[in-house]
Amino acid sequence: MAEIVSIIALAHAPGATGWLDKAPPHEQEALLEGYARMAGRLRAARPEVIVGIANDHLLNFRLDNIPDWCVGTAARWRGPAEWFRDWVNVPDYEVAGHPELARTIVRDCARKGINLAFSDKLEFDDNWSVPLKFLTPEHDVPLVPIHMNCVVPPLPEPARCVEFGRALAEVIRAWPGKARVAIMATGGLSHDPGGPKYFAVDEAFDRRFLDLLGTGDAAHVLREVTIEKMIAAGDGGTVELLAWLVALGAAGSRPAEPVFYVPSVPLRCGMGGVDWKLTS
Amino acid sequence: MGIMQTDKTLPCNRLIFEVRREARLRQRFQGDLEGLMREYGLSEEEKQALRQVDLKRLGDLGVHPYFLPQVTRLFRGARHNHNESEAAQLYAEKMLK
Repeated sequence: MAEIVSIIALAHAPGATGWLDKAPPHEQEALLEGYARMAGRLRAARPEVIVGIANDHLLNFRLDNIPDWCVGTAARWRGPAEWFRDWVNVPDYEVAGHPELARTIVRDCARKGINLAFSDKLEFDDNWSVPLKFLTPEHDVPLVPIHMNCVVPPLPEPARCVEFGRALAEVIRAWPGKARVAIMATGGLSHDPGGPKYFAVDEAFDRRFLDLLGTGDAAHVLREVTIEKMIAAGDGGTVELLAWLVALGAAGSRPAEPVFYVPSVPLRCGMGGVDWKLTS
Repeated sequence: MGIMQTDKTLPCNRLIFEVRREARLRQRFQGDLEGLMREYGLSEEEKQALRQVDLKRLGDLGVHPYFLPQVTRLFRGARHNHNESEAAQLYAEKMLK
C-alpha cells in the first residue's frame, strides 16, 4: 500500500520567478525563506511521487469543454509552455510523470462517484513551473499533475473539492504500489488577475483563511470559505484556493501549520504556504 | 465583468485561448489582427474592443478575466511583467482609469 507522507499547499504567482527583483528586499527574503522551508519539509518526508492539484489557467481547458479536474497520465512532462517561458522566467525543464498512479486515481475515483478527465498532453505555465522550481529544483520527484477548473463558472463547490480530496487520499492509500506520496496543492492566495484589484492583495482574507486551515476543522472551513468570499477577495485568482480545499479533504481533520505568508503587491499576490501535520 | 460573467461561447475567448498556445497564430496576431479576428468570427464590438485594447469593454462582452492582462502582454510583451512594465502599465491605463 502507498503511504501519504506529506500534504502541503502553497502559492505559485509568476512574479516569484519572473520579477522578484522588483519586490523590496524584505519581501524577497521572506518569500525565498518561506519557499525554502516548504522545500525542507517536503524533502524531509522523502516523497517518491508528488500528486499535485493546481488551477488550469485556461491553458489546457478549452472553453467549450471544461472538466472540474483533469489528471495528467503521461510518463514525461515538459515546461514551461512556449509563450509563458519569458513570463515565468524559469529554464526549460522535464519531470517524470507516474502513469500507473495517475490511471489508478482516474479509475478508482470513478468508482467513488468522482468523474475525472485525464490527458497525457498538458501544458505547464506558472502553476507547476514556480512551485517545482522552489521545491524540487532538480525536478527529480515524479509528478502526477491534476489540473482543475477554479475560474470558469460553474466552479466545483468547496464541499465537492473537499470530497474529492478525501476520495483522492483513499485511492492513493489503497493503491498497491509501495510508494511514498506527497500531495501538493498550489494556487492563491488573494490576487485578482484581470480585475480591478490587480495591483492589490487582501491580507485580511488571506490571514483568516490560513487561520481557518489551522483549526483542522473542515466543516468550519467550508462554512466560512465560500466562492463568493473568495471572489470578493480577488475575482479570478483567489478562487485558486479551491485547490487547497482538495488538500484539506485529503488531510481530513488534521490542522495545517502556516509555514509562511508574504502579502506582496509587487508580485500582485498573497504568497504563502502551509503544511498539514500528518503525525500527531 | 468578472469570472462569473464569462461568456464561454464568445469567439474572442477562443481566439485568445488559441493565440497563446500557437506561435503561428501569435505572428498573425502581430501582423494580421484584422484577418485573424475575421477568421474567428468576432463581432464588430469584439473587434473594436480588441483593436483598442479596451479591456473594460472586453470584460463586459464576456472575455474571461484571465485573458485581459494576457491581451496586454500580447501587445506589449510578457518578459519581466512587474507593475511598472509596459504590459502592466497598459493594463492600469485601460482597466483602472
